[in-house]
Amino acid sequence: MEAQGALALAIGLVGLGLWTVLVRRNLVWKLLGLNVAGGGAILFLVALAHREKAGPALEGVPGPHVDPLPQALVLTAIVIHFAVLALALVYVIFLSERRHTQDVRKLEETCPTRWPES
Amino acid sequence: MPYAVAGILTYLVLGVVGFVVRPGWLLGLLAVAAGAATLALWAPGFPPGLLLGETWGVAVGGDRVALVFWALALVLHLAVVLHERHRTGPFHPLLTLLVGTSLACAVSQDIFNFYVVLELVSLISFILVSYESEPKAVWASLKYLVLATAGMTFYLLGLGIVYVRTGTLGLALMAERVTQGDPVLVAGVGLLVAGLAAKSGLFVLGLWLPSAHGYAPTGVSAILSGLVVKLGVLGLARLAEVFPIEGLVLALGVVTGLGGLVYALWEWDIKLFLAHHTVSQLGYVLVGLGLGGEAAWGAVLYAAAHGLFKGLLFLSAGQAIYEVGERDLDRLRGKLSLPCALALAVGTWAIVGLPPLGGFVAKAVLADHSTAGWLAVLVVLSLGTAASFARLLPHFRSAGRGTRSRGFLLLELALLTMGVWGLVTFPGARDVGEWLKSLIVVAAGYGLHRLVHRQRVQLPALTLDRSFVLLLLGTLALVAVGLASWVLL
Repeated sequence: MEAQGALALAIGLVGLGLWTVLVRRNLVWKLLGLNVAGGGAILFLVALAHREKAGPALEGVPGPHVDPLPQALVLTAIVIHFAVLALALVYVIFLSERRHTQDVRKLEETCPTRWPES
Repeated sequence: MPYAVAGILTYLVLGVVGFVVRPGWLLGLLAVAAGAATLALWAPGFPPGLLLGETWGVAVGGDRVALVFWALALVLHLAVVLHERHRTGPFHPLLTLLVGTSLACAVSQDIFNFYVVLELVSLISFILVSYESEPKAVWASLKYLVLATAGMTFYLLGLGIVYVRTGTLGLALMAERVTQGDPVLVAGVGLLVAGLAAKSGLFVLGLWLPSAHGYAPTGVSAILSGLVVKLGVLGLARLAEVFPIEGLVLALGVVTGLGGLVYALWEWDIKLFLAHHTVSQLGYVLVGLGLGGEAAWGAVLYAAAHGLFKGLLFLSAGQAIYEVGERDLDRLRGKLSLPCALALAVGTWAIVGLPPLGGFVAKAVLADHSTAGWLAVLVVLSLGTAASFARLLPHFRSAGRGTRSRGFLLLELALLTMGVWGLVTFPGARDVGEWLKSLIVVAAGYGLHRLVHRQRVQLPALTLDRSFVLLLLGTLALVAVGLASWVLL
C-alpha cells in the first residue's frame, strides 16, 4: 500500500517537473523542473523495490524484505543527476554573464539559425 | 572478455591520468594503441558473460556489432588525434574518456549499465561541445543537456517497469522471460525506446543534434556524429534483439530520414548542413535495423561507414571554416585548399553511395536484404542525400595548396579499405547492376538538385521549447503506438 502511494507520488513528480520545463521561460526554473522530474524517476525505482516476493539481500536476516537491486541503481542515478545539474548551472552562469539574460526566448534570438542577409 | 575490459580500463585510466600529466596528443596515440592491442586479442568476439560476480554481475558480450563499433571508434579517435594535434589542455584527456566510455557502451549487454555509460558519454559530450566557450556552442550544449536528460528520465522509468516485469537487467535473461501481451511491459519498452531516441538525436524526439554537432569544435563534431549518436542506435539494436520493436524502429527511421533530409536541403551553414545529414543517415540505419536479419547487419556496416565519411566531412568542413573564416556554403565556394577540397570530395563520394568506397558496400548489403517496399524508401533517402550534396560540387574546385592533415588521409584510406573489403566479401556488391543503380540514383539526385536549388524555404527553427514539446509528444506517440499494436495483434 505504501508502495502504491509512493508510485503515485513519483509519477506526479515526473509530471510536475516536465510541466515546469514546458511552461517556464527562465532557465533556472527549467533546470529545477528537470531535476524534479529526475527525482521522480528515482523515487519510482525505489518504490518499485517494494514487492511481495523479494528475497533477503543478506542470508538469515528476518523479513519483510525489499528488492536491493533498484536501491543500488538509484545511487548511481542520483550521482549522475547531480553531475549533470552542476554542469548545467555552470552553463547558466556563463550565459548570464555573456548574454545578460536567463530567458530562453531571448537566448534563442541571440543565437539565430536563419537565412543570411544576401 | 578480460581483454575487452582491460582495453576499456586502460582507456579510462589514461584519460584520467591525462588530466594530471597533460601529454597532449600523445595520450590519444597511446590510448588508441592500447585499444587496438586489446581489440586484436578479443578479435572475433567473446561469449556473453557476467562481470563482477554471478547473480548481480553486469552482462557484457562481444558480438560482431561490438567488434565493428570498436574498430570504428579506434579509427575515428586516431584520425581526430592526428587532426587536432595542436590542442593542449584537457582536450585530449576528455576525448580519450569519451571514446573509452563509448567502447564500454559497445560491449554492454545490460540495460542499466547502458544507462550509466550513456549518461557518462553525454556528460563528456556536453563539456566537449562547449569546449571553446563560444556562447552559441554553450547554448547548443545546454539544449542538448536538457533534451538528453529529459529523454534519460523516460529511459529510467521504462527501465524500472521492465525490471519489475522481467526481474532482470541483463538482455540475455530478459529475452527468456518476456511474456507476450503484457500492456505494462509494452509501455515500459516504449519509454526505453523513447529515451534512446531522444539520446541519439532522432527526429522529433532529439532535435538538439543539429545545433550541438554544428557548433561543436571540429574534432568533437567528428567524434559526436561518427560515434556517439550511434550509441543510442546501438541501444535500439540491443533492445530489438529482445523485444518485438521492429515497427517502432521502422517508423522512427522513416521520420528521421525524411526530417533530416528536408532540413539539410535548405541549410546554408556547412557544419549545420552536415549535422542535419547525420540525422538523415541515422534514418537509413534505423530502417535497416527495423528490417532485421542480414539487413540489420547492413545497417551496422552503414553506421560504421557513416562514422568514417561523416568524420572526414566534418574534419574537412572544420578545416575549411578555419582557413577561410566563413561558415556559409555560398561564401566558401572556390576558396578551399586542395587537401580540404579533396577530403570533402571523397566524403561526398562515399555518402552518396558511389562505388568503390565504404558507403556503397554498406548500401549494397542493405539493399540486397530489404523488401521491395522498403527498398523504395531507401532509394528516396539516397536520392535526397545526393540532391543535397550536389550543392557541394562547386566547392571541390580548390584555391590552391594548403596544409595537409594526416587525419584526412587516414579516414580516406579507411573508407577505401572498407570498400575493397566489402567488394571481396559480398558478391552482391560486385554486381554491375548495383554499380549502375548507384550511378542512376546519384544522377537523378543531381537532377532534383537543379530543380529545387533556386527555392529558399524557411523551415521552423529548432528552438528548445519546440524541441521539448516534440520530445514529449514523440514519447507519448511511441508508447501509444506500442500499446495500440499490442491491442490489435
